[in-house]
Amino acid sequence: MEPFVRRSHLLVSARDEAQVAASWTHNADAVVLDLDDTVPMAEKPAVRTRIQAAIPVAARGGAEVFVRITTALAYADLAASVWPGLTGVVLTGAATGADVTEIAATLSQLEKERGIAHGTLSIIVMLDSGKGVWNIREIITASPRVCSVGLDEMRLCRHLGIEPHPDFDPFVYAKGRVIIESRAAKRQPVGFSHPAGLFPECEDTEERQRLALRSKNLGFAGMLCVHPAWVEPCNHAQTPSSERLDFYRETRRLFAEGIARGTAAIPYPGTTMMIDVPVDERARITLALWERCAARDAAKAEALQRARTAS
Amino acid sequence: MARRVRRSGLTMPINTQRFVDRSWTRNCDFLNFDFEDSVPQSQKVHARTLVAHAIVQGQKGGADITIRINCAYPDADVPAAVLPGVMQINFPKAETAEQMRHLDRLITEAERVQGIRPGTVRIGASIETTLGVANSYEIASASPRIQEFAGGTGYDMSMDMGVEMFVGFDQFVYNRGEGALVAMALGLEYTGSVYLSDTTGNVGDSGLTRQRAEANRKAGLRAGSGLHPNTVEPQNVGLTPTPEEVQAAQRLLAYFRELDERGEVEGELDGRVIDQYEAARATELLEWSVLCAQKDAQKARAQAQARALEAQTQA
Repeated sequence: MEPFVRRSHLLVSARDEAQVAASWTHNADAVVLDLDDTVPMAEKPAVRTRIQAAIPVAARGGAEVFVRITTALAYADLAASVWPGLTGVVLTGAATGADVTEIAATLSQLEKERGIAHGTLSIIVMLDSGKGVWNIREIITASPRVCSVGLDEMRLCRHLGIEPHPDFDPFVYAKGRVIIESRAAKRQPVGFSHPAGLFPECEDTEERQRLALRSKNLGFAGMLCVHPAWVEPCNHAQTPSSERLDFYRETRRLFAEGIARGTAAIPYPGTTMMIDVPVDERARITLALWERCAARDAAKAEALQRARTAS
Repeated sequence: MARRVRRSGLTMPINTQRFVDRSWTRNCDFLNFDFEDSVPQSQKVHARTLVAHAIVQGQKGGADITIRINCAYPDADVPAAVLPGVMQINFPKAETAEQMRHLDRLITEAERVQGIRPGTVRIGASIETTLGVANSYEIASASPRIQEFAGGTGYDMSMDMGVEMFVGFDQFVYNRGEGALVAMALGLEYTGSVYLSDTTGNVGDSGLTRQRAEANRKAGLRAGSGLHPNTVEPQNVGLTPTPEEVQAAQRLLAYFRELDERGEVEGELDGRVIDQYEAARATELLEWSVLCAQKDAQKARAQAQARALEAQTQA
């Protein structure tokens, strides 16, 4: 799979036309149009008919567009969602590898029918049952389409009979498992540090920044945001800070010098730090990530500029 | 296999001669000579010729000798690393059981070539990546040479997880739990550490090292390691039971024997409930204390001899 920069995924109810119309203005890396929890069963058929038109609207600011669907209604949701311009789906309700295989097969069929390049549509799995968390390895490796995985904490609470409380993180183990298993399988872990996953109503800007950074340092590489206010803190937390860039460039320069002299353990002047292979490797990875983030931000800014000029 | 005392240890590049030649003066329980990340690619072949010299230098201090090989070159590294006097081969970034089985076969062959008693060279499997954590159980159970185990923390792991190192909370809590469970389920020595907040990452901070060692001892953990000579004594001291702890354990066991003679299984001593679990803990502490004393005596003997020899050659 191509490396992607998907720091923030903004969830927008496909039912709410005003929200959909504004979805491209929040600078999210991805916009997720929801056909799942936020759309009552009776309204689903009508809302489904609007997805095809909503995709280019959500994409106006340069965001990739996903639709959130659930396994139980997957066929109807997919038939309404798979159109050129879609990047993939966010899937809830998957508890086994077979659940994912089935979605992947339906995606292949629809790609063929609707003139979309084969194998290009992605799946972001949001686990929402104990069984799903337990089977994470078979779920995320069931298809190369699975690019990311996270927990739907609210539904997981319901499934496990947990009463959410801001002081107590019920998913220390589950989050650890998601982070380890997804990174081991080269998938992106999506999620928040407690309590942001269960209590996203947070007015305090600084607190949002702090929790986004904490989520990053827990091992999550992207977040699913239920409110636009989380988008900027998440983009910011997942972008290497520009203050450190000089330090990383200097690290790489000193290490290259050391290697030329025949040593791979070089002290960083003015610190107790030793530069060895992994320290150099981190500098390389961080600089590369920064460049990809900068390229993504430039592409979004350009798209936004075009959209504003047009309207 | 006998229980290993490894409270303190230094990992150092085997090709930096001044480190290797002074290594015996550091009073470490073990010395880990590195073929891997601290040795540049251009020196890898040369590094393989330095093991015999490193063993001699390290053993002057009474330390156990371990060699950290490259996960990418086990076939070239193992025949060079497995010499008489090497206790353990450390395999960094262990990710699969098949790597361990392959390493076991290489060591078996090297033992045969070197005339080392079969099956005595141990394997240290270091978990340093997320794939390694995910495969912990398969890795730890892949060879009887693996006698100790811990979950993945540290620099490489933080990189693979995409997290910063010193953030003031434990980013590796799941990894620690997984490592401890696997070690206990398989009856291996758990060589992990408790988490103490560290926001500087100074590898030579003796105060923090001492605090961590004491916290580990109180949690019943026995193993240490390090990169900087400042970490050695704080761990030698901090991981050794204090005389007060030894006395308390002796009293507890005497009391438990009395209980046992009276046909009781539970009683109270100094306001604490004493049962078979408390007794087992006290027994372990006394055994550990004896092993520490033996190791200290062995190191002191070796170092005295080495100093005497050095004085002789200088005279």
